Amino acid sequence: MPELFGVSDILDVISMQHFVQNMVSIPLIQPVIDFLLQIPVLGYIVALILWKPMFALLIFPGLMTLLTVLLFIIWFERKLTARIQWRKGPLEVLRWAGGVIQALADGLRYFFQEVIVHRDAHRLYFLQFPILIFIPVLLPLLFIPAGTIVGIKSPYSLAITVAVVSLIPVFIVAIGWASNSRFAYIGTVREAFMYFAYEIPFIISVISMILVYGTADMVTIVERQAIPGIILNPIAALVFFITTVMATSRLPFEIPEADQEIAFGPFVEYSGIMFGLVMTIAYEKMYILSLLMSILFLGGGNGPAIPLLGDISGVIWLFIKAMAVMVSLAFLRSIYARLRLDQALRVSWTTIMKISLVSLAIGVIINLTTVGVVG
Amino acid sequence: MIKIKVPKLKMLDSVKLHVDALLTGAKEAIRPGTITIEYPRERRKLPDNFRGYILFSPERCKSCWQCSFVCPANAIKMELASNNRYYPSIDYAKCIFCHFCVDTCPVTALRPTKIHDVVYKDLEEMYTPTEGMVNPPKIIREEKYTVEYVVEGRDLILKRTREMDNLIPEIEPHAEVKEYSTCFDPESCLACGLCVNSCPVEAISITTVGQERRLKIDREKCYGCGICVNVCPMHILKLVKRPEEGG
Repeated sequence: MPELFGVSDILDVISMQHFVQNMVSIPLIQPVIDFLLQIPVLGYIVALILWKPMFALLIFPGLMTLLTVLLFIIWFERKLTARIQWRKGPLEVLRWAGGVIQALADGLRYFFQEVIVHRDAHRLYFLQFPILIFIPVLLPLLFIPAGTIVGIKSPYSLAITVAVVSLIPVFIVAIGWASNSRFAYIGTVREAFMYFAYEIPFIISVISMILVYGTADMVTIVERQAIPGIILNPIAALVFFITTVMATSRLPFEIPEADQEIAFGPFVEYSGIMFGLVMTIAYEKMYILSLLMSILFLGGGNGPAIPLLGDISGVIWLFIKAMAVMVSLAFLRSIYARLRLDQALRVSWTTIMKISLVSLAIGVIINLTTVGVVG
Repeated sequence: MIKIKVPKLKMLDSVKLHVDALLTGAKEAIRPGTITIEYPRERRKLPDNFRGYILFSPERCKSCWQCSFVCPANAIKMELASNNRYYPSIDYAKCIFCHFCVDTCPVTALRPTKIHDVVYKDLEEMYTPTEGMVNPPKIIREEKYTVEYVVEGRDLILKRTREMDNLIPEIEPHAEVKEYSTCFDPESCLACGLCVNSCPVEAISITTVGQERRLKIDREKCYGCGICVNVCPMHILKLVKRPEEGG
């Protein structure tokens, strides 16, 4: 029987040479990187971090950017809403910068608060799910390409991303079940209703974009967007945007959480750092879906290349586009009132479903007319 | 029962309404009409008749008890001073800042101020004796600006000025009406003596002439506090305006 992996193969894979071959190139700080690579242990760590899959996991679009964006967007949403409603918003923490680290301060406060597990909760699941939910939150980030930087290349990366993102509401329903309280029950049922209502138009709009590009590989999708997808199929973009609003429970579809009526719904029983974890789920989902939207419709990492930054230029363009989408999602909060559950379901099962079918038709037409051109 | 139907909007109309809402939001995001006053750093310019902390001038007070009678929250208690006169003291734990006492004071002995941010350590400390009402309380003023709400056209805007607002407005004392107590129906007098006991300056006395007991009010001593008018069970006393000097 032939040996599949020898020891030497494994050593090759974890060798510094292997990392350096596929490294993020940043001409601006290349001398610094070259110098750091000479140092024995530090050089290995630098090479590992700058290895493209590891860079995607740790820096962009992975953990570091996710954290920064979380801290920023929570503050920004409050600040923008306050501005539009003639208030000031968070201000007192770091006053000269307009209270920009308010979310960090809140996070620290959550960290030092007691985590209470009430008597009726299913203790194991109650504590487990807020941590387990990070699997479907973080996994899609590996498949999202930022220019040439991508964690895992796969011909099915878009399908995998959408499938994994669709798992998040399942975890939220499980959280609500484990909480075992009335408010959590109401919130959970609302979440389940909304889940079915938005997921189908959402997937249809993604399928229509797969038809437009003729592939489900996000790297190829970005490459083929000489014309941004929002011009090719604006209706799919509209459906994607509205379903993103529903999926991330922004206003006017902030129905499962609805902090004024059912006090954060499924998350009502959480306190301390556990509440901090579950509260940010919607924002993390918003970040992933914004990245997805910028890749599907806004051309991903495409943009005028900045020679000094090398591979980072694609990262910057994708980041700017994703932030623009997130800001416009946050902007909705200050304008719309919350719909009732039945109104939202009616809108979603009738109007949005119809529009999504139209977008699917457009996708089919484009797919048929361009067969052999891009496909 | 009236049933209200949801207005049916045409597709274009609803799109237009959405666009309107988005544009309004965008306009406010770019040029917000923020109307928040950052209180410790700024202070709102309050009107002179603002109902705040109440100051007291004992030299004007004629101990008429009107403030104590009118107080709806029963916050004002009259305290006996060393000069055998009664002066008001306010329990700010009870006071509802209606300023009925200020309005009812006939000699402007109670004055309103714009001070509304006094801190007490406990409930007992909120009881302010007469001595505490004479001078304004110590407050820390951190403000750099005085802010005023101004209506310009249809917009409400904030106007900031760098001056410090005077929190204790100068109130012109209204002209004192000199009065004295008099009995307009001596026949009905019971000679019960309640007024005699109530008078703070001992201006009222009862003289016995044979079988008849008569009420006598010393007009020189009487300064028109009106306590006897309130006390009299037969309601036969009233305050009469003192004739002008030489008039």
